[in-house]
Amino acid sequence: MAIPAGQMMAVGRYLLKQRLARRERYPLVLMLEPLFRCNLSCTGCGKIQYPVQLLRRQLSVAECVSASDECGAPIVSVAGGEPLLHPQIADIARALVDRRRFVYLCTNAILLERKLDEFEPSKYLSFSVHMDGPRAEHDHSVCREGVYDVAVKAIRAALDRGFRVTTNSTLFEGSDPERMRHFFDDMMELGVEGMMVSPGYSYEKAPDQEHFLRRERSHQLFARMLGSPKRSWSFNQSPLFLQFLMGKRDFECTPWGNPTYNIFGWQRPCYLLQDGYAKSFRELMEETDWPSYGRKSGNPRCQDCMVHCGFEPSAVRAAFESPQAMAGTVASMVTGRL
Amino acid sequence: MTEARIAELVDRAFDYRGYVTLRRSDGSELVGFVYDRSAAHLDLLDESATRRTRIPLAEIADIAFTGEDAARKSQEIWERRKGKPEPRETPAHGDWADPGKVLVLVALEHELRSVARALGAARRGSVVRGRLSGGEVVALAVGVGGGARRAVAEEHPRLVVSCGYSGGLDPALRPGDLVLATTVRRAGGDALAAPESPRLAAAAALDGLRFLQGGLVCATSAAASPEDKRALARDGALAVDMESYLVAQAAGEAGVPWLALRAIVDPLDSSLPPFAREARPDYFWPALRYAFSGPRAALRLVRLGRDASRAGAALEAALRRLVPALAAAEAHR
Repeated sequence: MAIPAGQMMAVGRYLLKQRLARRERYPLVLMLEPLFRCNLSCTGCGKIQYPVQLLRRQLSVAECVSASDECGAPIVSVAGGEPLLHPQIADIARALVDRRRFVYLCTNAILLERKLDEFEPSKYLSFSVHMDGPRAEHDHSVCREGVYDVAVKAIRAALDRGFRVTTNSTLFEGSDPERMRHFFDDMMELGVEGMMVSPGYSYEKAPDQEHFLRRERSHQLFARMLGSPKRSWSFNQSPLFLQFLMGKRDFECTPWGNPTYNIFGWQRPCYLLQDGYAKSFRELMEETDWPSYGRKSGNPRCQDCMVHCGFEPSAVRAAFESPQAMAGTVASMVTGRL
Repeated sequence: MTEARIAELVDRAFDYRGYVTLRRSDGSELVGFVYDRSAAHLDLLDESATRRTRIPLAEIADIAFTGEDAARKSQEIWERRKGKPEPRETPAHGDWADPGKVLVLVALEHELRSVARALGAARRGSVVRGRLSGGEVVALAVGVGGGARRAVAEEHPRLVVSCGYSGGLDPALRPGDLVLATTVRRAGGDALAAPESPRLAAAAALDGLRFLQGGLVCATSAAASPEDKRALARDGALAVDMESYLVAQAAGEAGVPWLALRAIVDPLDSSLPPFAREARPDYFWPALRYAFSGPRAALRLVRLGRDASRAGAALEAALRRLVPALAAAEAHR
């Protein structure tokens, strides 16, 4: 496992507090979208289709900090859009780091190398670089030639300067498990701290509707890709979540685990579905009709979803709720087996 | 229109990734993006993406889908492009051009120190390069002469700021007060009006600091005595410097917006010591010689040093606020 011990301890303490307070629903990761504009138009992305005036709008540093304070989650994933297009992104990261939030700044890395000067390395800050697979697959996925090479160069530069770097890969129908295994080797050789993988969500507004994975296909793909994992691989994710992707475990979605805040407010119910917005985090938690979401609800939009933002918190929560699951997590972390 | 029809239109509007025009029962119309709805109301963000309005469904007479559907547009682009990726040479910022740098022009290296402190960057000769809130800033000491035109041509800035010390022409101005120019006038000549958009953003950013907005007059030699200053004040100018007109002219010729921000060192009723009446790269030795000319001169020098420090600190504080605010204003355009 690639998650640093200090981070695990901090998150563990937070989870314990929630358990002791007998909170039924609590956030683990704040999904902060300071803007929707992006310098890429990826084939499977449904996040950036807005009128240009809305794409120009962005959250201020104060709004980002206030959302983080309001939510209280120990981890903040700064997504978008491309966060590095925000002129004050370094100030946002710094302000969150000052509050001891573990910040994962998700980026396609096109602007990363030229923006590195603005950031300071910290154990609280990690660049989570979007890498959907080997060169050909990644460039195809982001619909632009040369992006893989730019990202690799930026990762090297960031690592050279002492930054934490992870990768995040979204998989679609047609992904080749063997080539993905080679890609994992390449990323680890490059020196990243850990990798994150997830199937793509079938965004209604994404241009390509043909290549989203159904649940059974996700199981097949991840079982082949992650079966007999190499010792050298490190994933920045819960082993239980990876086992869930492989079809070895089943979880119900915990959409409140990764609440999302953007220019419209607190997005209901999750990072992927947009059924409206709450004005405050409290309103989101208390007034959202949670039983209407998740696989058990029968909501058709949730049936094939296995995305990390809904199930990673379920996996982390499960590890803290059952001694067997905790033992499984620890065993997997020690042996590297899934 | 029936309630069921309105409810159907509201659902469609909520799903629509473009602007709609909403007609109320009283005949008034609203254009905006519907980002939320309930059984009783809908929430709309106006076209400037800043003002939110909640409208009861009972007040809605009709909804027209008047703006382009961004989701459909994206689909069409993708279908046209299918299988053909964007070329390697596509700009790194995509459709969102690099906002470019802010060029701060000062006359003297002494003034450059305030800029360096504001940026937290080291001064290398007559240049300071740094960033404030993600925005690239280059500051150059170009002297009083014609260095501005060359600097603008070489740096390709998105905004030029003429920045530095100034003499007060308005009796209310004290050392350390700031003047944001609405116009810069060549003494006895024409005036250039400061572009409105950056000036308004700058004025908002400076709120809370001691500053005035008004005319700036540019003299060809230092206005050293109260009499000199009173003569220049006749046009209603607030402050006098020697370089902002040339900076504004150079920026205007290059089609780049500009600002002039000055900090008062010598107020209307004070006069500059003789050595300060000429522009020099370094005042150290002339000042030392002046200090040894007598106790009154030494006292005057101490006072001038204190006032220059106040002006420097004011400039530093102003720049810290100005650059991020201008970057944010740019992104919101």
